[in-house]
Amino acid sequence: MARTLKDLRPVYVVGVGWHRYQNPSETPYVTLGVTAIRDALADAHMDWPAVESAYVATALLGMASGRPMLRHLGATGVPLSHIENASASGSTAFRQACIEVASGLTDVSLAVGVDKRNPVRRDSTGMDNLAEDAIAQFTHFSLLTNEYAQRHKVSFEDIARVAVKNHRNGAKNKNAQRQQERTLEEVLGGKKVAGSLTALQCTPVGEGAAAAIVASEDGIKRLGLDTSRAIRVIGSTARSERVYAAGLGFDAVLTKETTTIALQEAQVSPQELDIIELHDAFTVEELHYIENIGICPEGQGVHLLKEGALDIGGRCAVNPSGGLIAMGHPIGPTGIGQIGEIALQLRGEAGARQHPKARTGLAHMVGVGAVCYVHLLQRP
Amino acid sequence: METLLKPSLYATDGTLQGGRCTCGHVFFPMQGHGCEVCGRHGADLQPMVLKGRGKLLSSTIVHLHIDKARTAPFTIGKIALADGPVVRTLLVDPTREIEPGTAMVTALVPAGAGENGQTILDLRFTPET
Ligand SMILES: [Zn+2]
Repeated sequence: MARTLKDLRPVYVVGVGWHRYQNPSETPYVTLGVTAIRDALADAHMDWPAVESAYVATALLGMASGRPMLRHLGATGVPLSHIENASASGSTAFRQACIEVASGLTDVSLAVGVDKRNPVRRDSTGMDNLAEDAIAQFTHFSLLTNEYAQRHKVSFEDIARVAVKNHRNGAKNKNAQRQQERTLEEVLGGKKVAGSLTALQCTPVGEGAAAAIVASEDGIKRLGLDTSRAIRVIGSTARSERVYAAGLGFDAVLTKETTTIALQEAQVSPQELDIIELHDAFTVEELHYIENIGICPEGQGVHLLKEGALDIGGRCAVNPSGGLIAMGHPIGPTGIGQIGEIALQLRGEAGARQHPKARTGLAHMVGVGAVCYVHLLQRP
Repeated sequence: METLLKPSLYATDGTLQGGRCTCGHVFFPMQGHGCEVCGRHGADLQPMVLKGRGKLLSSTIVHLHIDKARTAPFTIGKIALADGPVVRTLLVDPTREIEPGTAMVTALVPAGAGENGQTILDLRFTPET
């Protein structure tokens, strides 16, 4: 019978690093990527030659972008793969690195995500469509916002509070693209893109990099790493979309399927989660996902939000990094940056963003396709 | 003279060119790659004319759109067709969101002119009157 990650060798996050997420600039992706990797190596207190395999997550850089970047760390001959999985590219690279260490094939592996804002290219499936070119991502989520507001009798103002919280968190994060607190009036007052959705309720498109180094107990011992700062990866689950009943939001249903498996395999209940980093590219998503992760019943997310239960210091800190709305969403790096934030929180190293007594964290990512990735991390 | 913008997707009577698998799954548009439910392909997938009517699940006004070929504002609707599939496309009225649950029908509306001056029609949805 197939086994779960928890049945294999224990895997630990030992180093995390970033190049700040930012507005598109002239900075070459190589600079972004090596900055994040060096930051993660310094965080782990280890040198590059100790890394035995590398997974480069990128959706928009084109073919074979990894080697022209990694060679500037010293060309050690490390095995290298590129991972493209839309928004979940970084989460997928992280999962592959974890699987390789857990299997015993390596003791130390790297996942790095790096991207620039380049045009998205998707080849034709050979099937025409009515007007998909008229339906941007924000239009898709505006439809879902209208459905959520109607179904649960919730106001657009209350849905927008997700952005107020996440901008507040991002304001305390030096790696966030948006580092400015916003009032509800500012969030609602910005220019509307579709329906009630305003620009400050949508993730900004940008560039940046994030890196995470994972290691086995043997690797940690051999390299003399600080075991008290190592965060165990206790679950990794991935799914893709099936055929759901007409009218069901596939991102939400897929999130529920994937998270249910992940929590069950790791034997963690939703109430034990101290930290959640999730795919809040648009405000309504955060409500959909916390409900489908099992933090509260469907339609109740706004109540938790309004009573501060999802704040840093609340019942469960949701997107303490600022999430995709404030931290940003440069695509390749995003899923790895989530792991970095959770590692900081579980170590107690998150500074002004520290959620008290954080022990267990969940990283959630959906990607166009649709795919869903969930990772569970725990302080030993 | 009038021609359709996407004749592979719909007909002049406002019906849609869908398909049906022997497993019973109804889909839009017609395709031969394979059934999303059971994986059957080839002769197991047959064209099926879908009625141009359904129920609105949601709609939204798009205020901003990057593609200059689509001038905002316009309205997008998500419609559960009477025959099963859910489709998303433009609504006839570009200025108004419509109450979910409203019965909708297809309408062919002018969407430009062809080389010989003929009117090109595209399929939209509008509330049933
Ligand atoms: Zn079938």
